[in-house]
Amino acid sequence: MNKLIEDNLTAVLKREGLEAKAADLEQFSEIIELYMENLRQLHSVNLGAEELGPVFRPEWSGK
Amino acid sequence: MAVEEKPLYYLSIHEAQQLIKDRKLSPLELTRSVLDRIAAVDNKLHAYINLMADSAMAEARAAEAEITRGKWRGPMHGIPIAVKDQLDVDGAPARIRQFTQGVGDATAVRKLREAGAVMLGKLHMSSLPDADLPLPRNPWNTDHITGGSSTGSGAAVAGGLCLGSLGEDTAGSIRNPSAFCGLAGIKATYGRVSRHGLAPLSWSLDHCGPMARVVEDLAHLLNAIAGHDPKDPTSSSISQPDYTSALHKDVKGMVVGVPRDYIEECAPRTAPIVLKRVGEAIDELKSLGARVEEVKVPTLHLATIANAVIYYNEFWAAHRSAAAAVLKTGAPQRRARIYLGLLTGSADYIQAQRIRSRCRAELAQVFTRVDCLALPNQAGPAPLVKDVGPIDTLFKHVVPEYHGPFNLTGLPTLSVPCGFSENQLPIALQLVGKPFDEISVLRAGYTYQQHMKWYERRPPI
Repeated sequence: MNKLIEDNLTAVLKREGLEAKAADLEQFSEIIELYMENLRQLHSVNLGAEELGPVFRPEWSGK
Repeated sequence: MAVEEKPLYYLSIHEAQQLIKDRKLSPLELTRSVLDRIAAVDNKLHAYINLMADSAMAEARAAEAEITRGKWRGPMHGIPIAVKDQLDVDGAPARIRQFTQGVGDATAVRKLREAGAVMLGKLHMSSLPDADLPLPRNPWNTDHITGGSSTGSGAAVAGGLCLGSLGEDTAGSIRNPSAFCGLAGIKATYGRVSRHGLAPLSWSLDHCGPMARVVEDLAHLLNAIAGHDPKDPTSSSISQPDYTSALHKDVKGMVVGVPRDYIEECAPRTAPIVLKRVGEAIDELKSLGARVEEVKVPTLHLATIANAVIYYNEFWAAHRSAAAAVLKTGAPQRRARIYLGLLTGSADYIQAQRIRSRCRAELAQVFTRVDCLALPNQAGPAPLVKDVGPIDTLFKHVVPEYHGPFNLTGLPTLSVPCGFSENQLPIALQLVGKPFDEISVLRAGYTYQQHMKWYERRPPI
């Protein structure tokens, strides 16, 4: 796994008082790296002034 | 009579309810037939993780007595159903929550009981804490998976081990097993069916909904479970129609939108047979009188990723207190979700919510011109069990695909069978509607189903 991602994950796990199960980082490296690439892609789109807006409104009318 | 033409356990809810209402079929006889079927084949399908045979027979007996006294509660009275473990059932352990006893009925379960349904038990779901349970097998070919995460619901309904089921869908978990197992399944609009008593995967994406063998059964099940629930803070108070009003064979005048650009973007990861069958289904809708129009939803390609980001971040938040135990002994899918949630920052979550707003606005614009969208429901037919690793289903959450965008936007979405692959595995069409317009997708799905009659084929098990 990419060293930066591994260090980041290890740090956030430590912050939460958690520890990865042995061999998990290796087993899950492909999906973790793909997911991190997706996060980069998510920020590549220009949303202009789009606000966060309500998280979700069940009554959303589509208007 | 239909009762003589096929085994009782393969009756649709629609057929069975009419026979029960007319007192030509006893709920006791029907429940016994399904329990016998479970005894005969569930050792091959592994759908049930908690079979409640004794209480089911008691409930069937009570239903029969009540109907004999002239009190027929409605179409679900005396119908044997089962639910995904994610829903709480009084008296039954909820393994997903690691409870040893049930804590009361989820609202959807309570409503089914009030409608007179017979509760057969709880069904397997992938990502259960005890990952060593055998994986449910696909009744169309037991070498293949059922799809998930409503794994047991797919196997049980397709195999005749219940007449209908409740599943849960956060990123395709009703539609995926419905597609792989040749079933009809619907995720109604977010807020339409209560999430109370549903173990959360992601609060803002989770949808409880029915799976059955035909579209009319979904209408009966939705009639029973939908509606406002003060116990669910996101429950809608918009009035609930009678979903059986959608069951007339007519799509004349309907406008069906096809997001061709998006389908082409997903095409390299989609089996050609799926694209072929879905194309044929769209042509059928056209020949039945619908107008087909191409539509563009520019941010749809990011919607799956945004859905995954919200899913994993909310999963982490919901499961934080149990994280240490999950990382030590939990199933690989649960552990992987924890890691991905931990890696998701607040800026990522907010960006995903902004994409959610943008995508919702784009779809709202599209729905000013069309009644529903039609697109594939799966990347391919059900894979072989031996080809699927413990976290493989997570990969579909992080590449543009067909399910996530409609959890993200909360739109009503129906899966309806549209044919078979070369090796006789089911393939499905996905129909997406406007907010709270489940009627349109049920109507289009029912018309197509009645024209093609794929439901007449039964799995070989």
